[in-house]
Amino acid sequence: MRRRQLIALVRKDLRLELRTRETIVAMVLFAIVMMVILQFGFGTRDDDLTRFVGGLMWVTLAFTAVLGVGRSYVAEREQRVLDGLLVAPVPRMVMLAAKAIAILIYMVAVEVVVIPLVGIFFVQGPYWGAIGWIAITALLADICIALAGTLFSGLALFTRARDLILPVLFLPALVPVVIAAAGATHAVAGGPHDMSEWRGYCLFLLGYAILFALVSIATYDAVFDD
Amino acid sequence: MDGVDLDLAPGERLALAGPNGAGKSTLLRILATLIRPQAGTLTVLGTDVAAGARQARGGLGYLAHDPLVYPDLTARQNLEFFGDLYGIPDRDARIDDLLDHVGLRGRAEDTVRTFSRGMAQRLALARMLLHRPRLLLLDEPHASLDQRGALLLDDQLRAARSDGRAAVIVTHEVERVAPLCDRLVVLGAGRVVLDEPIAGIDPAVVRRRYEAVTP
Repeated sequence: MRRRQLIALVRKDLRLELRTRETIVAMVLFAIVMMVILQFGFGTRDDDLTRFVGGLMWVTLAFTAVLGVGRSYVAEREQRVLDGLLVAPVPRMVMLAAKAIAILIYMVAVEVVVIPLVGIFFVQGPYWGAIGWIAITALLADICIALAGTLFSGLALFTRARDLILPVLFLPALVPVVIAAAGATHAVAGGPHDMSEWRGYCLFLLGYAILFALVSIATYDAVFDD
Repeated sequence: MDGVDLDLAPGERLALAGPNGAGKSTLLRILATLIRPQAGTLTVLGTDVAAGARQARGGLGYLAHDPLVYPDLTARQNLEFFGDLYGIPDRDARIDDLLDHVGLRGRAEDTVRTFSRGMAQRLALARMLLHRPRLLLLDEPHASLDQRGALLLDDQLRAARSDGRAAVIVTHEVERVAPLCDRLVVLGAGRVVLDEPIAGIDPAVVRRRYEAVTP
Protein backbone atom coordinates (compact mmCIF):
# COMPACT_ATOMS: atom_id res chain seq x y z
CA MET A 1 0.00 0.00 0.00
CA ARG A 2 2.73 2.49 0.98
CA ARG A 3 4.72 1.64 -2.14
CA ARG A 4 1.64 2.20 -4.27
CA GLN A 5 1.00 5.54 -2.55
CA LEU A 6 4.64 6.57 -2.99
CA ILE A 7 4.63 5.71 -6.70
CA ALA A 8 1.31 7.54 -7.17
CA LEU A 9 2.59 10.69 -5.45
CA VAL A 10 5.87 10.78 -7.39
CA ARG A 11 4.12 10.00 -10.69
CA LYS A 12 1.63 12.79 -10.03
CA ASP A 13 4.40 15.35 -9.42
CA LEU A 14 6.26 14.27 -12.56
CA ARG A 15 3.06 14.29 -14.65
CA LEU A 16 2.28 17.81 -13.48
CA GLU A 17 5.83 18.90 -14.25
CA LEU A 18 5.78 17.29 -17.70
CA ARG A 19 2.47 18.96 -18.45
CA THR A 20 3.32 22.44 -17.17
CA ARG A 21 7.16 22.35 -17.62
CA GLU A 22 7.42 25.13 -15.08
CA THR A 23 9.87 24.06 -12.40
CA ILE A 24 12.71 22.29 -14.21
CA VAL A 25 12.80 24.78 -17.09
CA ALA A 26 12.88 27.69 -14.63
CA MET A 27 15.63 25.99 -12.60
CA VAL A 28 17.81 25.33 -15.67
CA LEU A 29 17.39 28.87 -16.97
CA PHE A 30 18.13 30.30 -13.54
CA ALA A 31 21.29 28.18 -13.25
CA ILE A 32 22.51 29.24 -16.70
CA VAL A 33 21.88 32.92 -15.97
CA MET A 34 23.68 32.60 -12.65
CA MET A 35 26.70 30.98 -14.30
CA VAL A 36 26.82 33.75 -16.89
CA ILE A 37 26.76 36.34 -14.09
CA LEU A 38 29.47 34.47 -12.20
CA GLN A 39 31.57 34.23 -15.35
CA PHE A 40 31.41 37.99 -15.80
CA GLY A 41 31.86 38.56 -12.09
CA PHE A 42 35.03 36.49 -11.82
CA GLY A 43 36.84 37.41 -15.01
CA THR A 44 36.97 36.75 -18.71
CA ARG A 45 36.74 33.44 -20.58
CA ASP A 46 40.52 33.38 -20.74
CA ASP A 47 40.91 33.26 -16.97
CA ASP A 48 41.34 29.76 -15.58
CA LEU A 49 38.80 29.40 -12.79
CA THR A 50 39.50 25.70 -12.28
CA ARG A 51 40.45 26.14 -8.65
CA PHE A 52 37.09 27.79 -7.93
CA VAL A 53 35.08 25.18 -9.80
CA GLY A 54 33.57 23.51 -6.71
CA GLY A 55 32.37 26.76 -5.20
CA LEU A 56 31.01 28.12 -8.48
CA MET A 57 29.11 24.94 -9.19
CA TRP A 58 27.60 24.48 -5.75
CA VAL A 59 26.70 28.10 -5.13
CA THR A 60 24.84 27.96 -8.44
CA LEU A 61 23.14 24.67 -7.56
CA ALA A 62 22.27 25.76 -4.02
CA PHE A 63 20.38 28.84 -5.22
CA THR A 64 18.80 26.82 -8.01
CA ALA A 65 17.65 24.29 -5.42
CA VAL A 66 15.92 27.07 -3.45
CA LEU A 67 13.92 27.83 -6.56
CA GLY A 68 12.90 24.20 -7.06
CA VAL A 69 12.16 23.50 -3.41
CA GLY A 70 10.05 26.65 -3.24
CA ARG A 71 7.83 25.21 -5.93
CA SER A 72 7.54 21.74 -4.44
CA TYR A 73 4.04 22.28 -2.99
CA VAL A 74 2.87 24.85 -5.53
CA ALA A 75 0.44 22.45 -7.21
CA GLU A 76 -1.21 21.58 -3.90
CA ARG A 77 -1.24 25.17 -2.64
CA GLU A 78 -2.23 27.16 -5.70
CA GLN A 79 -4.61 24.56 -7.05
CA ARG A 80 -6.05 24.07 -3.56
CA VAL A 81 -5.68 20.31 -3.46
CA LEU A 82 -3.78 20.03 -0.20
CA ASP A 83 -6.84 19.09 1.88
CA GLY A 84 -7.61 16.25 -0.53
CA LEU A 85 -4.12 14.92 0.05
CA LEU A 86 -4.16 15.39 3.82
CA VAL A 87 -7.53 13.70 4.28
CA ALA A 88 -6.29 10.59 2.43
CA PRO A 89 -4.82 7.77 4.55
CA VAL A 90 -1.26 8.49 3.43
CA PRO A 91 1.48 8.30 6.06
CA ARG A 92 3.17 11.68 6.24
CA MET A 93 6.51 9.94 5.77
CA VAL A 94 5.33 8.67 2.40
CA MET A 95 4.43 12.25 1.44
CA LEU A 96 7.89 13.38 2.55
CA ALA A 97 9.61 10.62 0.61
CA ALA A 98 7.59 11.35 -2.54
CA LYS A 99 8.36 15.07 -2.47
CA ALA A 100 12.03 14.35 -1.75
CA ILE A 101 12.21 11.97 -4.73
CA ALA A 102 10.56 14.58 -6.97
CA ILE A 103 13.05 17.26 -5.86
CA LEU A 104 15.90 14.79 -6.35
CA ILE A 105 14.73 14.13 -9.92
CA TYR A 106 14.47 17.89 -10.60
CA MET A 107 17.99 18.44 -9.27
CA VAL A 108 19.44 15.61 -11.35
CA ALA A 109 17.70 17.01 -14.44
CA VAL A 110 19.23 20.44 -13.76
CA GLU A 111 22.68 18.98 -13.12
CA VAL A 112 22.64 17.09 -16.43
CA VAL A 113 22.79 20.57 -17.97
CA VAL A 114 24.72 22.48 -15.32
CA ILE A 115 27.65 20.15 -14.67
CA PRO A 116 28.81 20.07 -18.33
CA LEU A 117 28.23 23.82 -18.60
CA VAL A 118 30.47 24.43 -15.57
CA GLY A 119 33.20 22.59 -17.46
CA ILE A 120 32.66 24.76 -20.51
CA PHE A 121 32.37 28.07 -18.64
CA PHE A 122 35.02 27.86 -15.96
CA VAL A 123 37.49 25.01 -16.30
CA GLN A 124 40.60 24.62 -18.34
CA GLY A 125 41.97 21.67 -16.37
CA PRO A 126 41.20 17.93 -16.59
CA TYR A 127 37.53 18.35 -15.62
CA TRP A 128 35.94 15.79 -17.93
CA GLY A 129 38.02 12.93 -16.55
CA ALA A 130 36.48 13.57 -13.14
CA ILE A 131 32.88 13.75 -14.33
CA GLY A 132 31.96 10.38 -12.77
CA TRP A 133 33.24 11.46 -9.33
CA ILE A 134 31.43 14.77 -9.67
CA ALA A 135 28.22 12.90 -10.51
CA ILE A 136 28.53 10.80 -7.34
CA THR A 137 29.19 13.95 -5.32
CA ALA A 138 26.17 15.61 -6.91
CA LEU A 139 23.91 12.65 -6.14
CA LEU A 140 24.89 12.65 -2.45
CA ALA A 141 24.46 16.42 -2.21
CA ASP A 142 21.10 16.16 -4.00
CA ILE A 143 19.85 13.67 -1.42
CA CYS A 144 20.76 16.18 1.32
CA ILE A 145 19.08 19.01 -0.63
CA ALA A 146 15.95 16.93 -1.28
CA LEU A 147 15.52 15.85 2.35
CA ALA A 148 16.22 19.27 3.85
CA GLY A 149 14.19 20.99 1.15
CA THR A 150 11.16 18.79 1.67
CA LEU A 151 11.23 19.29 5.41
CA PHE A 152 11.55 23.07 5.20
CA SER A 153 9.06 23.46 2.37
CA GLY A 154 6.58 21.47 4.48
CA LEU A 155 7.26 23.76 7.43
CA ALA A 156 6.90 26.89 5.31
CA LEU A 157 3.75 25.61 3.62
CA PHE A 158 1.51 26.57 6.51
CA THR A 159 3.02 30.01 7.10
CA ARG A 160 1.77 33.25 5.63
CA ALA A 161 5.15 34.55 4.42
CA ARG A 162 6.21 31.15 3.07
CA ASP A 163 8.12 32.57 0.09
CA LEU A 164 10.32 34.56 2.46
CA ILE A 165 10.61 31.98 5.21
CA LEU A 166 11.69 29.08 3.01
CA PRO A 167 15.03 30.58 1.85
CA VAL A 168 15.71 31.88 5.36
CA LEU A 169 15.29 28.35 6.77
CA PHE A 170 16.65 26.36 3.87
CA LEU A 171 19.81 28.22 2.84
CA PRO A 172 21.52 27.99 6.25
CA ALA A 173 20.82 24.26 6.24
CA LEU A 174 22.51 24.08 2.84
CA VAL A 175 25.75 25.69 4.01
CA PRO A 176 27.34 22.40 5.17
CA VAL A 177 26.17 20.73 1.95
CA VAL A 178 27.73 23.47 -0.19
CA ILE A 179 31.00 23.31 1.79
CA ALA A 180 31.23 19.53 1.48
CA ALA A 181 30.04 19.27 -2.11
CA ALA A 182 32.32 22.12 -3.23
CA GLY A 183 35.23 20.53 -1.36
CA ALA A 184 34.55 17.13 -2.94
CA THR A 185 34.21 18.65 -6.42
CA HIS A 186 37.40 20.64 -5.96
CA ALA A 187 39.21 17.52 -4.76
CA VAL A 188 38.58 15.73 -8.07
CA ALA A 189 38.20 18.56 -10.58
CA GLY A 190 40.11 21.51 -9.20
CA GLY A 191 43.56 20.13 -9.97
CA PRO A 192 45.28 16.80 -9.20
CA HIS A 193 42.78 14.23 -7.86
CA ASP A 194 42.80 13.84 -4.10
CA MET A 195 40.56 10.82 -3.58
CA SER A 196 40.99 10.62 0.19
CA GLU A 197 39.78 14.22 0.52
CA TRP A 198 36.90 13.44 -1.85
CA ARG A 199 35.91 10.38 0.22
CA GLY A 200 35.95 12.43 3.42
CA TYR A 201 33.61 15.04 1.98
CA CYS A 202 31.33 12.38 0.53
CA LEU A 203 31.11 10.62 3.89
CA PHE A 204 30.17 13.94 5.43
CA LEU A 205 27.38 14.35 2.83
CA LEU A 206 26.16 10.84 3.54
CA GLY A 207 26.08 11.57 7.28
CA TYR A 208 24.25 14.84 6.70
CA ALA A 209 21.66 13.04 4.57
CA ILE A 210 21.11 10.46 7.30
CA LEU A 211 20.82 13.23 9.90
CA PHE A 212 18.14 15.03 7.87
CA ALA A 213 16.31 11.78 7.19
CA LEU A 214 16.15 11.15 10.96
CA VAL A 215 15.04 14.73 11.70
CA SER A 216 12.35 14.41 9.02
CA ILE A 217 11.10 11.10 10.39
CA ALA A 218 10.89 12.63 13.86
CA THR A 219 9.07 15.80 12.84
CA TYR A 220 7.16 15.37 9.59
CA ASP A 221 3.96 14.04 11.20
CA ALA A 222 3.87 17.10 13.43
CA VAL A 223 4.50 19.43 10.49
CA PHE A 224 1.32 18.29 8.77
CA ASP A 225 -0.91 17.22 11.64
CA ASP A 226 -0.25 19.96 14.18
CA MET B 1 -15.53 25.11 19.33
CA ASP B 2 -16.68 24.94 22.92
CA GLY B 3 -18.34 22.01 24.63
CA VAL B 4 -19.52 20.34 21.43
CA ASP B 5 -20.59 16.78 22.24
CA LEU B 6 -22.06 14.82 19.34
CA ASP B 7 -22.58 11.16 18.46
CA LEU B 8 -23.41 10.01 14.97
CA ALA B 9 -24.90 6.56 14.39
CA PRO B 10 -24.22 4.44 11.28
CA GLY B 11 -26.59 5.53 8.53
CA GLU B 12 -27.48 8.77 10.29
CA ARG B 13 -27.48 11.96 8.18
CA LEU B 14 -26.85 15.11 10.14
CA ALA B 15 -27.42 18.63 8.84
CA LEU B 16 -25.01 21.07 10.48
CA ALA B 17 -26.25 24.63 10.22
CA GLY B 18 -25.62 28.01 11.77
CA PRO B 19 -24.78 31.59 10.88
CA ASN B 20 -21.45 32.61 9.35
CA GLY B 21 -18.62 32.19 11.83
CA ALA B 22 -20.55 29.74 14.00
CA GLY B 23 -17.87 27.07 13.53
CA LYS B 24 -19.59 24.71 11.07
CA SER B 25 -16.70 24.36 8.65
CA THR B 26 -14.21 24.24 11.51
CA LEU B 27 -16.13 21.35 13.09
CA LEU B 28 -16.26 19.59 9.72
CA ARG B 29 -12.50 20.03 9.28
CA ILE B 30 -11.95 18.62 12.76
CA LEU B 31 -14.09 15.60 11.83
CA ALA B 32 -12.08 15.28 8.60
CA THR B 33 -8.89 15.17 10.75
CA LEU B 34 -7.62 18.30 9.01
CA ILE B 35 -7.53 20.22 12.30
CA ARG B 36 -6.40 18.61 15.52
CA PRO B 37 -8.68 19.62 18.42
CA GLN B 38 -6.89 21.42 21.24
CA ALA B 39 -9.00 19.64 23.85
CA GLY B 40 -11.52 16.83 24.08
CA THR B 41 -11.66 13.55 22.19
CA LEU B 42 -12.65 12.71 18.64
CA THR B 43 -13.57 9.19 17.65
CA VAL B 44 -14.19 8.65 13.94
CA LEU B 45 -15.53 5.28 12.75
CA GLY B 46 -14.51 3.73 16.05
CA THR B 47 -10.96 5.06 15.94
CA ASP B 48 -9.57 7.60 18.38
CA VAL B 49 -8.16 10.18 15.97
CA ALA B 50 -5.40 11.21 18.37
CA ALA B 51 -4.03 7.68 18.19
CA GLY B 52 -4.97 6.55 14.69
CA ALA B 53 -5.91 9.41 12.38
CA ARG B 54 -4.69 7.54 9.31
CA GLN B 55 -6.96 4.57 9.98
CA ALA B 56 -9.93 6.90 10.37
CA ARG B 57 -9.07 8.77 7.18
CA GLY B 58 -9.47 5.60 5.14
CA GLY B 59 -13.20 5.63 5.84
CA LEU B 60 -13.84 9.35 5.29
CA GLY B 61 -15.23 10.99 2.19
CA TYR B 62 -14.71 14.75 2.17
CA LEU B 63 -16.39 17.15 -0.24
CA ALA B 64 -15.22 20.74 0.20
CA HIS B 65 -15.91 24.07 -1.51
CA ASP B 66 -12.92 23.38 -3.76
CA PRO B 67 -12.97 20.21 -5.85
CA LEU B 68 -9.63 19.02 -4.35
CA VAL B 69 -8.49 17.66 -7.71
CA TYR B 70 -5.51 18.73 -9.83
CA PRO B 71 -6.61 21.01 -12.69
CA ASP B 72 -3.58 20.03 -14.80
CA LEU B 73 -4.36 16.30 -14.66
CA THR B 74 -7.16 14.62 -16.57
CA ALA B 75 -10.29 13.42 -14.79
CA ARG B 76 -9.10 9.83 -15.06
CA GLN B 77 -5.55 10.63 -13.88
CA ASN B 78 -6.99 12.39 -10.85
CA LEU B 79 -9.16 9.42 -9.94
CA GLU B 80 -6.28 6.99 -10.57
CA PHE B 81 -4.11 9.07 -8.27
CA PHE B 82 -6.62 9.15 -5.43
CA GLY B 83 -7.50 5.49 -6.07
CA ASP B 84 -3.86 4.61 -5.44
CA LEU B 85 -3.71 6.74 -2.30
CA TYR B 86 -6.70 4.82 -0.92
CA GLY B 87 -5.38 1.46 -2.15
CA ILE B 88 -8.54 0.57 -4.08
CA PRO B 89 -8.23 -2.99 -5.40
CA ASP B 90 -10.62 -2.66 -8.39
CA ARG B 91 -9.43 0.83 -9.24
CA ASP B 92 -9.95 1.00 -13.00
CA ALA B 93 -13.40 -0.63 -13.00
CA ARG B 94 -14.46 1.56 -10.10
CA ILE B 95 -13.25 4.69 -11.93
CA ASP B 96 -15.19 3.75 -15.06
CA ASP B 97 -18.33 3.17 -12.99
CA LEU B 98 -18.00 6.49 -11.20
CA LEU B 99 -17.21 8.46 -14.36
CA ASP B 100 -20.38 6.98 -15.86
CA HIS B 101 -22.29 7.77 -12.69
CA VAL B 102 -21.29 11.44 -12.63
CA GLY B 103 -21.65 11.83 -16.40
CA LEU B 104 -17.97 12.48 -17.16
CA ARG B 105 -16.99 9.30 -19.03
CA GLY B 106 -16.83 11.25 -22.27
CA ARG B 107 -14.48 13.83 -20.73
CA ALA B 108 -12.31 11.33 -18.82
CA GLU B 109 -9.17 12.13 -20.81
CA ASP B 110 -9.59 15.91 -20.66
CA THR B 111 -7.72 18.01 -18.11
CA VAL B 112 -9.89 19.31 -15.29
CA ARG B 113 -8.79 22.85 -16.18
CA THR B 114 -11.13 22.63 -19.17
CA PHE B 115 -14.13 21.68 -17.00
CA SER B 116 -16.88 23.99 -15.84
CA ARG B 117 -17.20 24.53 -12.08
CA GLY B 118 -20.14 22.12 -11.93
CA MET B 119 -18.28 19.42 -13.83
CA ALA B 120 -15.24 19.79 -11.59
CA GLN B 121 -17.49 19.38 -8.54
CA ARG B 122 -19.05 16.26 -10.08
CA LEU B 123 -15.53 14.90 -10.45
CA ALA B 124 -14.99 15.83 -6.80
CA LEU B 125 -18.10 13.82 -5.98
CA ALA B 126 -16.58 10.84 -7.81
CA ARG B 127 -13.30 11.37 -5.91
CA MET B 128 -15.19 11.40 -2.63
CA LEU B 129 -17.08 8.18 -3.41
CA LEU B 130 -14.11 6.36 -4.98
CA HIS B 131 -13.06 4.43 -1.88
CA ARG B 132 -16.63 3.71 -0.68
CA PRO B 133 -16.36 5.87 2.46
CA ARG B 134 -18.43 5.07 5.54
CA LEU B 135 -18.67 8.67 6.70
CA LEU B 136 -19.43 11.48 4.26
CA LEU B 137 -18.37 15.00 5.24
CA LEU B 138 -19.92 17.60 2.97
CA ASP B 139 -19.22 21.33 3.19
CA GLU B 140 -22.13 23.20 1.61
CA PRO B 141 -22.24 20.71 -1.25
CA HIS B 142 -25.27 22.15 -3.04
CA ALA B 143 -23.64 25.58 -3.33
CA SER B 144 -21.11 24.46 -5.92
CA LEU B 145 -22.69 21.44 -7.63
CA ASP B 146 -24.62 21.85 -10.85
CA GLN B 147 -28.16 20.50 -11.05
CA ARG B 148 -27.06 17.06 -12.21
CA GLY B 149 -24.43 16.86 -9.51
CA ALA B 150 -26.91 17.98 -6.85
CA LEU B 151 -29.35 15.26 -7.88
CA LEU B 152 -26.58 12.65 -7.78
CA LEU B 153 -25.61 13.80 -4.32
CA ASP B 154 -29.21 13.67 -3.14
CA ASP B 155 -29.41 10.06 -4.40
CA GLN B 156 -26.26 9.23 -2.48
CA LEU B 157 -27.63 10.73 0.70
CA ARG B 158 -30.94 8.89 0.34
CA ALA B 159 -29.06 5.64 -0.18
CA ALA B 160 -26.71 6.34 2.71
CA ARG B 161 -29.26 5.34 5.34
CA SER B 162 -29.82 1.85 3.92
CA ASP B 163 -26.09 1.44 3.22
CA GLY B 164 -25.20 2.30 6.81
CA ARG B 165 -23.10 5.29 5.72
CA ALA B 166 -23.31 8.31 7.99
CA ALA B 167 -23.16 11.86 6.67
CA VAL B 168 -22.52 15.33 8.06
CA ILE B 169 -23.72 18.10 5.77
CA VAL B 170 -22.73 21.66 6.51
CA THR B 171 -25.37 23.90 5.03
CA HIS B 172 -26.93 27.32 4.89
CA GLU B 173 -29.93 25.89 3.05
CA VAL B 174 -31.70 24.09 5.87
CA GLU B 175 -34.93 23.72 3.94
CA ARG B 176 -33.03 22.26 0.94
CA VAL B 177 -31.27 19.51 2.89
CA ALA B 178 -33.94 18.80 5.52
CA PRO B 179 -35.67 16.07 3.45
CA LEU B 180 -32.31 14.29 3.12
CA CYS B 181 -31.38 14.39 6.81
CA ASP B 182 -32.43 12.69 10.02
CA ARG B 183 -31.14 15.29 12.43
CA LEU B 184 -30.42 19.01 12.62
CA VAL B 185 -27.62 20.46 14.70
CA VAL B 186 -27.34 24.24 14.83
CA LEU B 187 -24.13 25.90 16.00
CA GLY B 188 -23.85 29.39 17.39
CA ALA B 189 -20.48 30.88 18.35
CA GLY B 190 -18.91 27.44 18.47
CA ARG B 191 -21.60 25.88 20.71
CA VAL B 192 -24.50 23.57 19.93
CA VAL B 193 -27.68 25.64 20.26
CA LEU B 194 -30.11 23.12 18.75
CA ASP B 195 -29.90 19.34 18.30
CA GLU B 196 -33.06 17.52 17.32
CA PRO B 197 -34.43 14.89 14.94
CA ILE B 198 -35.98 16.17 11.72
CA ALA B 199 -36.74 12.96 9.78
CA GLY B 200 -40.17 13.21 8.22
CA ILE B 201 -40.73 16.79 9.37
CA ASP B 202 -41.91 19.39 6.88
CA PRO B 203 -38.82 21.32 5.65
CA ALA B 204 -40.61 24.64 6.24
CA VAL B 205 -41.10 23.69 9.89
CA VAL B 206 -37.43 22.74 10.13
CA ARG B 207 -36.48 26.13 8.71
CA ARG B 208 -38.64 27.94 11.27
CA ARG B 209 -37.00 25.97 14.11
CA TYR B 210 -33.61 26.92 12.72
CA GLU B 211 -34.55 30.56 12.45
CA ALA B 212 -35.86 30.52 16.00
CA VAL B 213 -32.39 29.79 17.40
CA THR B 214 -30.29 31.88 15.04
CA PRO B 215 -30.00 35.67 15.08
